[in-house]
Amino acid sequence: MHPSPSTHRIFSPTRLWAIASNTLLELVRQKVFYFLLLFALVSIGSSVILVQFSFQQQFQVLKDVALGAMSIFTWLLAVLCTAMILPRDIEDRTLYTILAKPVPRFEYLLGKLAGVLLLLLLALSLMGVVAALVLYLRQQDVLAGILAHTAPEDLDAAVRELKASTFTANLIPGILLIYIKAAICAALTLLISSFASSPVFTIIVSVMVYLIGHIQPIAREYWLNQLPAGTIVPPLIKVFLGFVALIFPDFQLFNLIDDIVVGAAVPFAAFAQTALLGLGYTAVYTILAYLSFAQKEL
Amino acid sequence: MSTAPTPSAPAIAIHDLTKVFPIPFKREVVTAVDSLSLTVAPGQVYGLLGPNGSGKSTTMKIVLGLVTPTKGHAEIFGRPCTSVDSREAVGFLPENPYFYKFLTGSETLHFYGRLCGLSGRKLSERTRELLALVGLEDAADRRVGGYSKGMLQRIGLAQALVQEPRLLVLDEPTAGVDPAGSRDIRDLILRFKERGITVLLCSHLLGQVQEVCDRIGILHRGKLLREGPLRDLISIENQTELVLENASPELLADLEARITLGGAKLLEKRRPQTTLERFFIEVTTGQDPR
Repeated sequence: MHPSPSTHRIFSPTRLWAIASNTLLELVRQKVFYFLLLFALVSIGSSVILVQFSFQQQFQVLKDVALGAMSIFTWLLAVLCTAMILPRDIEDRTLYTILAKPVPRFEYLLGKLAGVLLLLLLALSLMGVVAALVLYLRQQDVLAGILAHTAPEDLDAAVRELKASTFTANLIPGILLIYIKAAICAALTLLISSFASSPVFTIIVSVMVYLIGHIQPIAREYWLNQLPAGTIVPPLIKVFLGFVALIFPDFQLFNLIDDIVVGAAVPFAAFAQTALLGLGYTAVYTILAYLSFAQKEL
Repeated sequence: MSTAPTPSAPAIAIHDLTKVFPIPFKREVVTAVDSLSLTVAPGQVYGLLGPNGSGKSTTMKIVLGLVTPTKGHAEIFGRPCTSVDSREAVGFLPENPYFYKFLTGSETLHFYGRLCGLSGRKLSERTRELLALVGLEDAADRRVGGYSKGMLQRIGLAQALVQEPRLLVLDEPTAGVDPAGSRDIRDLILRFKERGITVLLCSHLLGQVQEVCDRIGILHRGKLLREGPLRDLISIENQTELVLENASPELLADLEARITLGGAKLLEKRRPQTTLERFFIEVTTGQDPR
């Protein structure tokens, strides 16, 4: 055995991919994944059995249900899967064998998060395909009715209106925002998991932060509107409000998805701003998770 | 940050190492390791002994960079343990290891190999070689979740060896393993020694430690009580042991007379016994374990 010079690289995409793909495999083989995915697909699929509204209303409800199911189940997957990955590795001591190899802690953590994000991408893609299929099937159904009952001179306009109501490219930014929102929640759960004592605690805190993220902008606005005109908000309160707004992401911004469902044209700038803010929060939570994990005594 | 290895450096050098754990919600602390200094030379098999809670595992974790020392420092082949690249030269088998249950034995070794930068044909060959070394070729495609305790220890040993480390850290490598499996692991350790691999071994099985270790250190309450070459530590200075084969009663009587004549005292005369482990293996496998 001869001493060999160090060939170690601070960051290695191969190592990162090894951890990410292994995490994806680990998560895909868990029952919780199949249970949630099946439930989501059934929710999206069952929306096809709807009371007979006008077709515009019908498609709006269909899209509403589909994107709503995607949003909830992707969030649930993000929180439940991320909350389990670190404690399981610690409990089984697989973390020891991994970190005893030349694997930096940030790479391990990033690999784990990347595995969860890949799983979310997979699940969301599958849900998106099912939603598109459901919308397509309904579209074909309605199209047959239009072709049978519409006067030839009105046919073009009716078909155009129908196609504009179903699955269009406008839905893609909405699905992307659902993904980014879930990514924030995954990174946040990872941060909590890096110092939490149990997965249950991690899940509870993560859900609470999610709720606060939804409520805090409304609460802040309501409270500020309650103040008599001309009232000067004390600096301490301002700092507190700013702190809360900084720590908890404003999930109300992601309500752009609702505008997308009703077919409103969402300006690209608004989409990009929300997406960038989401990615920023994901990055900051991941960095904080690393700082906490780097100090952890294993 | 990459640090250059020092060719002549000891495999492990621990200097004045102390680890204090605070007790949550109390002002008290627990000193797991107390001013520990020791050196393990390259190629040596070093046994770190001590009762439960004596600081063995904490010392190992510090050496592996899993725990940060409160005071002092440790090095592996001249590289500080806190640097990630020091782990290029180390293989670690924790006590009662569990691996990803959904992976097969072969996939497990592939995973750890990829973490060490191996890939392609080199990784496949290394995997096959290691599975053969630890006797798991037949279980290579079985899920690790279905492995027995002994098989888990062996796949654990294989993953520790995946990047051909110069130092092996083994925490209770034979815990819960049957005598035959335990003997296999002991034989593997002896083979590593022949190949020049340094081994840091923590075990409660003192008989086994005695069989494989060149040097030992005994820890108690975080302090190193005794340390040195095993033979020196356990030999009784003023006694001599003779083991004879085919000695006639006349020769024995003659020897006894000479011993008395020479002013020495014959303390004990008995037939040497085999160990229970050897007897067990002979009965269960029909092999002569010697």
